Amino acid sequence: MTAALTARSVQKRFGAAVALSNAALTLERGEVHALVGANGCGKSTLSKIIAGTVQRDSGDIVVNGAPLVLSSPAEAEANGISLFYQELSLIPQMSVEDNIFLGREPRNGAGFVDRKALAKKADALLQRFAPVAGRGLNSKARVSDLSPDQRQIVEIVKVLARDPDVVIFDEATAALDHRQVELFFRIIGEMKDKGVSFLFISHRLAEVFAVCDRITVMRNGESVDDFVTAETDMDTVVRAMVGDIAHDLDPAPSTDFTSASARLVVQGARGQRLQDVSFSLRPGEILGLGGLQGQGQSILLQSLFGAEPLTGGRVLIEGRPVVVRTPRAAVRHGFGYVSGDRGRDSALQGRSIFENMAIAEWVAERRRLVWPGRLQARLSEIAQSLNTKYPSLDAPIDALSGGNQQKVFIARWLATNPVVLLLDDPTKGIDLAAKADFFRLVRNLAAAGAAVLFYSSEDAELIGLCHRVLVFNSGRIVAELERAELTSFNLTGAAYGSAA
Amino acid sequence: MERFRRLLTEPLVLASLAILVLLGVGEFLSPGFARGGQIARILTVSAILGLVSAGQALVVIGGREGIDLSVGALISLGALVAGNVMSGENGAIFSAILAAGGLAFVIGLVNGMGVTLVRIPPLVMTLGMMGVIQGGLVVLSRGIPSGNAAPALMTFINRPLVFGLPGVLFVWALVALAMWFILRRTALGYAIYAMGANERAARLCGVRTGLVRTLLYGLSGLMAGLTGVCVIGYTGNSFISVGDQYVLPSVIAVVIGGVSLAGGTGGYFGVVLGAIALTLLQSVLTTLQLEFWGRQLIFGAVLLGLMLLYGRTKRLRV
Ligand SMILES: Nc1ncnc2c1ncn2[C@@H]1O[C@H](COP(=O)(O)OP(=O)(O)OP(=O)(O)O)[C@@H](O)[C@H]1O
Ligand SMILES: [Mg+2]
Repeated sequence: MTAALTARSVQKRFGAAVALSNAALTLERGEVHALVGANGCGKSTLSKIIAGTVQRDSGDIVVNGAPLVLSSPAEAEANGISLFYQELSLIPQMSVEDNIFLGREPRNGAGFVDRKALAKKADALLQRFAPVAGRGLNSKARVSDLSPDQRQIVEIVKVLARDPDVVIFDEATAALDHRQVELFFRIIGEMKDKGVSFLFISHRLAEVFAVCDRITVMRNGESVDDFVTAETDMDTVVRAMVGDIAHDLDPAPSTDFTSASARLVVQGARGQRLQDVSFSLRPGEILGLGGLQGQGQSILLQSLFGAEPLTGGRVLIEGRPVVVRTPRAAVRHGFGYVSGDRGRDSALQGRSIFENMAIAEWVAERRRLVWPGRLQARLSEIAQSLNTKYPSLDAPIDALSGGNQQKVFIARWLATNPVVLLLDDPTKGIDLAAKADFFRLVRNLAAAGAAVLFYSSEDAELIGLCHRVLVFNSGRIVAELERAELTSFNLTGAAYGSAA
Repeated sequence: MERFRRLLTEPLVLASLAILVLLGVGEFLSPGFARGGQIARILTVSAILGLVSAGQALVVIGGREGIDLSVGALISLGALVAGNVMSGENGAIFSAILAAGGLAFVIGLVNGMGVTLVRIPPLVMTLGMMGVIQGGLVVLSRGIPSGNAAPALMTFINRPLVFGLPGVLFVWALVALAMWFILRRTALGYAIYAMGANERAARLCGVRTGLVRTLLYGLSGLMAGLTGVCVIGYTGNSFISVGDQYVLPSVIAVVIGGVSLAGGTGGYFGVVLGAIALTLLQSVLTTLQLEFWGRQLIFGAVLLGLMLLYGRTKRLRV
């Protein structure tokens, strides 16, 4: 039996930059195949070439035994190939159902869009995710009103609605919590049994090992290794990815904070999806926000940063009450905010990497005049400490791979030397090595006296980095776990403990 | 080949090429077209267009479908106010500039507040404002032309000052320098680009997007008002629709200059070239004795052609 899809010695350059030098993989029918590798190694580029959105320079792609030359995504779709885009492709102003069927709306006899059939089909597809969809996700909702995980679910549904034979998921789980991921994997399993093939790209190796049959490792634009999941282990794969050692997260050092007075105190905060949230945060402390997706963690961070309104409660910095109504006020108080939704919240599309990094710094330092040359050295140092791969600071941000863009946005806030750092699922899309570097930088920042609030959709990150974790449910804090109690088991238990 | 194509769609290259070609065509159609005196006259007209386009450029760069259609009416207003304040007196030039610029600045700020506070789409807001100003001008002047320029102002704009070039060109150079400085050397300038690229992200970095945007419309009004002063200095007296002919060209000059109508890109240097290229085109068309409507047709076609050309190279990247 022929493979569902084979790619051989695929090459692609963007100007002088080589994105792919020798990419290859074989995707069997009815298998889930992982594509892993460091940020900027070419995973998204290969996916886009297979899906027809980017043209290859050379190399072969064979589908069902026949060579395939694609010049548009529509042609790929006609061949049963469907791609989940890492940088989501939804249109924010449109409804969920219109997005799902964009360009392939069901028609009635007269050739008009059949709204009823469209709504029915959309509802049926969304129904599969109903148990984990969270509030406000329905076929009529506007995409711009949805949370990042909900948008990711819509994007998944959009891909599945195409009845594909070959599906490429480019970091489809980056914003999902483990409950959502479990359901997603169950759906993949069902489709796989029907003969659908999946290419699964993720930086979460645990997920790769949970769902994939085989693994292809890429490094610097080249496919370097193939593994059968059942016959290998994570260390081996990591070694193949980075070329040498595995980056383990050393557990956070337990520091005694009782002496230091609180940097940030939140008393009875209320907001659109927050109820009576109180906690305090001391200098040097890394406080995690846990729980299922969308229980108020992001809203809390955005509210503290002045991007969402608080309707009640008090916020004190160094014991003094403050009212932060705008992000500008927050920045001036020494807050920094790294969002996990880079396309919407972070990227200044079309502008240079330098500008993307420097913009917050100028606000924080109350600059009026700027001499671009002056900041360059410091910014490139920060970018390099995160191992960011970029051609030059003057290159446009759009030329970077997804993970490398996220590193730029992290660097943007590290550059302001924040006294309170708000991290809203900040590691989305960055690879293992960079994550370890990032955690090290956050620890150093904390050790130098910054207070850190850290929300992550991955329990392992909370366990790896935090001194303490507040578990959220329906906008309230339902549990507080100290370092010693911080286990995956306890986090899950607390998250579900009083789940509605 | 690929690089050659890329170079050709580079706005600055394209605008420079257009200038050279138009000079050649003009010289061919009417020998003497590309001589010194004639060039100085074309540059003077370009300077006037360049001044209103500076404000237009700021508004467009600031994004959120930014555009200022009220600049034409504001030029008419500026010319009328300046003409009446001056009434031919050299001593009143300064107060005329202050009155015309100040009034237009305030009206521009109102545009900006409509766009930011009330969230009226810029196209609608500035179109509505254009109607209001035009109506107001008719009521105020009862349709009778009034006011005239001071002799010194006319000399400054029409007669050679240094190197055979009129004074207004040096004003234009100063404005160009100021635009470069604001856009490339101030935090405000980078905030404008950031806002044009992604308003939400800019706000999350601490940029006061509402305030900055309001200011941009104010500056566009200010530049239009000052352009009105130049217009009356150029023609001597004004009529109430004198500014209308600048609306479309101010947008085209911005687009030729490489400022994307989607916002967040481009600089003023390109717009300077755009204004010159467009003025040359206008002269060539006049040489061909094309009527106003014929010129309007060609201008419109140029704008659409440019959108087609740049639009293809700047497709949304997925
Ligand atoms: N449009 C582009 N212009 C220029 N360079 C690009 C462009 N797209 C990608 N590249 C470069 O190609 C390389 C591969 O990028 P790609 O997005 O495929 O990486 P990736 O493996 O998906 O990384 P990540 O894990 O960060 O998503 C990177 O070095 C990137 O800078
Ligand atoms: Mg990628």
